[in-house]
Amino acid sequence: MSALRAPGFPEQDVRRRAREGGAAVFPAAGQYGESVFGADATAPRDEIDACRLVPPVSMPRRLEKLIELAREPLYSDVSLESSFGGFDAPFPLYLSALGSTRVAAAGCALARQAGRIGLPMVIGENVAPVGGFRSSGKHLALLERIGAYTEAAQGATGGVVVQQSTEDANAEVWNHVYTDPSVRGLMDSGRLAFELKVGQGAKPGLGGLTMVDEETSRRLGGQYAMERLQAGGQVLRCGSPGTFTDEILRQQVHLMRNNYPRARCWVKLPPARDVAAAAAVAWRAGADAVTVDGAEGGTGWAPGVFLDHVGLPLGECLRRIGVPEGTLLASGRVYDGARAVKVLALGARAVGFGRAALVAVDEDPENGLVRFVESLALEMRLLISALGKYAAGEPGPEDLWSPRESPGAVARDGVTGEPPIRHDKREVFA
Amino acid sequence: MTTQQDFRAMPTPAERAVADVPGPREHLTSPRTQAVLKIQQALVAGARELMAAEGAVELFQPLIGPVTDPGARGAKQVDVDYYGHQYKLMASAILYKQTSLVAFDKVFFIAPNVRLEPLETSSTHRHLAEFHQIDVEFACASRDDAIALAERVVRQAVRKALATQEDALRLIGRDTAKLSAFVEQPFEVLTHAEVLDRLGHPHDPGTEIGWQAEEFISGRAEAPFFIVDYPKGSRGFYDKEDPERPSTLMSFDLIAPESCGEICSGGERESDYVKIVTRMRETGENPAKYGWYLDVVREGIPGSAGFGIGLERLTRWVAGLDSVWQASAYPKVPGVVSP
Repeated sequence: MSALRAPGFPEQDVRRRAREGGAAVFPAAGQYGESVFGADATAPRDEIDACRLVPPVSMPRRLEKLIELAREPLYSDVSLESSFGGFDAPFPLYLSALGSTRVAAAGCALARQAGRIGLPMVIGENVAPVGGFRSSGKHLALLERIGAYTEAAQGATGGVVVQQSTEDANAEVWNHVYTDPSVRGLMDSGRLAFELKVGQGAKPGLGGLTMVDEETSRRLGGQYAMERLQAGGQVLRCGSPGTFTDEILRQQVHLMRNNYPRARCWVKLPPARDVAAAAAVAWRAGADAVTVDGAEGGTGWAPGVFLDHVGLPLGECLRRIGVPEGTLLASGRVYDGARAVKVLALGARAVGFGRAALVAVDEDPENGLVRFVESLALEMRLLISALGKYAAGEPGPEDLWSPRESPGAVARDGVTGEPPIRHDKREVFA
Repeated sequence: MTTQQDFRAMPTPAERAVADVPGPREHLTSPRTQAVLKIQQALVAGARELMAAEGAVELFQPLIGPVTDPGARGAKQVDVDYYGHQYKLMASAILYKQTSLVAFDKVFFIAPNVRLEPLETSSTHRHLAEFHQIDVEFACASRDDAIALAERVVRQAVRKALATQEDALRLIGRDTAKLSAFVEQPFEVLTHAEVLDRLGHPHDPGTEIGWQAEEFISGRAEAPFFIVDYPKGSRGFYDKEDPERPSTLMSFDLIAPESCGEICSGGERESDYVKIVTRMRETGENPAKYGWYLDVVREGIPGSAGFGIGLERLTRWVAGLDSVWQASAYPKVPGVVSP
């Protein structure tokens, strides 16, 4: 365990998962017979956490499964296998974009473990422009991560998604990747995607921010804005957020599909007030997946005021999008199976996590991510089967209850002002 | 001509063998190579004759600059360290063609280009990482003017080769009567949508015509023909959007018959500063890196139309070659290490 800290994030919970895998889904074994357990008294962090997954008594879907299996179904009968954004994956999970900040130096350890279990992995913007692409035959940051992933990959699931943002276009990140011989295996097996980064959850409206040393600052000074916040310290490298309109977004997606026909096209949206309209533009332009990162999302570096005051919570993003027209992926403070299943129930096809992966691999660089995913998968199977459902795509809004629905609960939780999440899909998403 | 009925049944580039290029001595001493290079020179001479008759000025394209044409699909640009500044080898002459119109109304270049094309193009028979274009731009011209001019250039170039390289064409076994018949008839003009209809199978209406599909329609063509009205999103920011029909570009390609595919791309250009900056964003570009070009555009450049004819592709078609690398003295097939 290193000095990595994740304030405001359930870091200790993730560390335990990274150590214990599925065992972490239950209370510590030593407590058995000596403690009793109830709901956690701590206040929910956001609307998704505040929702509860509520199984019905009457379960026609479980009856179908019973007939199929000729025995009572169990949680182990839940299939988590998923297809999203052009990839097949063993779980409805993917590794969110990790960029070039120092804390993301764990990139290769994560890539190895993600490759091992076939988990789709997004490589963040800035990695190639800041870390370089290739130098005298040596693979630098970006190709190194791709190499770590592909070397560890054992099956045909998963894939690598490479982000590019506005200034990254100068460095031609996608053109580099698309023409590089070392990426050919991924491309030939349909496991390469490019993600257009329109924005991110933790700092919607801002571009990528990274602290760099003096030498890197001099090297990148012509390409990015640099801000020296204090004498003698590190320098803040500021990417621009890029200018988007509906037409610019539409045409950038068209261009991606035109120029990179053998790579899948993903679009990452910030938790913006017009997130639903932007997602529709991207899908209609042909994006294979749209990723929405809620304001709870983590980041390597951001001004505190953005973390506390800017952007829609993930739950509200999903509510505004309603029934997705295309493949919707979502991320934002995902760290356990409950939050993952709730996000699936709100319309996402798969769920991304970033900070949890960093903490897990910090806890154990060899197996932390694998165990963390094992614990999530077990929890998701338990939860989905409890709802009387048996596939990752089956949970829906009918499985959720929001305390906002009940006047008593609203008063108790002190949550006011927002319309409730309602059960009927058609009513909610009309 | 292919007998395939469905372009989707044709082998994809990834399924084809990479070109087997001989070493430089074997290639250069081959009588076939020598004949092809003479035919190529005749094509250039024919094009220059026509340009002179049109009153165009020949300029020499810079080899390096701070920025180059981003419009090549999936191809990587080549960086050059220019006294500590990151420069690019030219991928096309487009930015210089447009700005040169502040000096002359009609310009052309015989311009070398470098594009590190995706590896899959090593087996398309029609991609080279290093190639030349007969690059033409006329001020105040329309797309129809450019189409008519491209047709005249190709006709004149082929006539010149037929008139002066009869021996070379005979040596490589080209049917000269057939070649002559191809260029002595008017070239048809089809829209992008009409071409997709003729494919008879679904094709994304929002993108360029795929390499296999293009080879397929080329194989069935009776003569060279133009494709117009490519969708926005398939070309660089400099091709003008039709003001009457948003999302449609005033661009064109010239397709050669006999499975050779596209040999020329062009169009009417965007010359308005506001539209160019906006289109740069729509093509994912960062306007900041186009500083010198935008400075010129902001002060005003004439509207124009023009095109670039791929010299090695034109040669391949005229000489009836299997592959475009045979039309270069020192061919660089994408991904193949060569001199």
